Amino acid sequence: MLSRNNLNRFSAFWRHFPAANAINLTLIIIGIMLIWLVISSTIENPARYLPSPIVVVLSSVDMIYKGLLPSYFGDTITRLVVGSAIGLTLGIPFGLLLGLNRTVADMFYPLMNFFQSVSGIAIFPIVVVWWGNSDKTVLAVILYTSFFPIAFTVLSGVREVPLRYIHAARTLGATRYQIIRDVLLPGSMPHIATGSRLSIGFAWRAVIAGEMLAGREGLGWMIFTGQDADKTAEVILGMVMIGVSWIVLDHYLLRPFEADTIERWGLVQR
Amino acid sequence: MPAKLVVEGLTHHYPDEYTGESVHALEKINLEVQEGELVTVVGPSGCGKSTLLNILAGLLPYREGVASVDGIQISGPGSDRGVVFQEHAILPWRSVAKNIGHGLELKGMVKEEREARVQDFVELVGLSGFEDKYPHELSGGMKQRCAVARTLCADPVIMLMDEPFAAVDAQTRITLQEELNRIAIATKKTIMFITHAVDEAAFLGDRCFVFSARPGRLKAIVDINIARERRIWADMNADDEFVRARDEILRLVREEVSVAVEE
Repeated sequence: MLSRNNLNRFSAFWRHFPAANAINLTLIIIGIMLIWLVISSTIENPARYLPSPIVVVLSSVDMIYKGLLPSYFGDTITRLVVGSAIGLTLGIPFGLLLGLNRTVADMFYPLMNFFQSVSGIAIFPIVVVWWGNSDKTVLAVILYTSFFPIAFTVLSGVREVPLRYIHAARTLGATRYQIIRDVLLPGSMPHIATGSRLSIGFAWRAVIAGEMLAGREGLGWMIFTGQDADKTAEVILGMVMIGVSWIVLDHYLLRPFEADTIERWGLVQR
Repeated sequence: MPAKLVVEGLTHHYPDEYTGESVHALEKINLEVQEGELVTVVGPSGCGKSTLLNILAGLLPYREGVASVDGIQISGPGSDRGVVFQEHAILPWRSVAKNIGHGLELKGMVKEEREARVQDFVELVGLSGFEDKYPHELSGGMKQRCAVARTLCADPVIMLMDEPFAAVDAQTRITLQEELNRIAIATKKTIMFITHAVDEAAFLGDRCFVFSARPGRLKAIVDINIARERRIWADMNADDEFVRARDEILRLVREEVSVAVEE
């Protein structure tokens, strides 16, 4: 009955079925949940080592009910948005400036390399000494973490804009400012997109780490205190929230931005 | 009537990118291009014809000699000299219409006025219906049409073209050549067209400047007396004047190629 031919026909149909991806993903998630459920029901003391998905869902319901989860989530997202927004707003013009002027770039390059290697976590202790366990500390670290990746990528983006585009604009009578606006900025958009993704990704990690080390609320704080209080379900819940938020952020903010710019212009293919 | 473009005693050396040795690209070039004239420049590769174009475009500084457009000495790029580059020089992040209107936008022309003008040039080069497409959605020939329209729309005194049809396929090239001829009739624009293809130089030029092998010298000027309206590829092989001009240019270029090979 089920010949190879029929199977091929079915898989071809399935690939072009609009909801196929969503259904596939759901099946994978259900599979993971099942494996997780089986493991947690076979080990001793699952509440401490690996609470079942059901317990995690119940604890999330409990935390939403108490208002803790929405509040922690809001804190974390606010920090991420504010910190990385400042990081990008400063980093993009800085990278552009360095890209425009080789002398300035050569001057700053070793310094940027130096700070790039001293990661956000490594500067935490000294920032804590300055500003204590405060929002300011966490924000400063996020800003620091998101600044360098974007500045670096924009710098190389500006340098990689083909000379012929600049020449074309100059022969149309463009001023230096017009060349920056109409050629160098859009021309480095693939790098700006990649750099933003890197920066926001690093910032996201810095938020969680920052909240663990210096926060008093937020998802990082929730994971950290969950461990101390032996509430492993909350630890797992925090981890899941972090991953899911990133996927949502990527899908609704970063991907549409890329689709409207660099993909529309044919600068990258997907 | 004074010439639109005047070049006198232009000599140019530049350092080789890798060895640093001085390359003698142009030697005492004297030439004039009259208003409304289409001149072609042809010569063996490395004869300095692209160097000449870059100097005239203002992209390459020069020290010896004089080059001027409408009596104003060239000292940098300017919208009085429009350039059509070899390929891939229209901006990928601008639609066809926005590429064509870019020059006017840079001059600060208001949107309504600009759009009307852009539409004229979209039609002139036959890109109607493609105004909102992006360059990566166009064929090679359409990209070059867009590049020509972009340059013309900014209304330069002279249009400089640097082997603009070298990268398209043979069929498209013939069409583009006939279209450029039609555009030259319609706009009466002064045009300098650089090429290495002898038949292209004979088909398009009112006059053809033949350059010698390096250092580039103006070796000969070949007049081509064919009315623009009669320049259609289908008739050219039966046209005595075209055949004569083409063969003469070919002979002149061949001498130079053999010189270059013997060296």
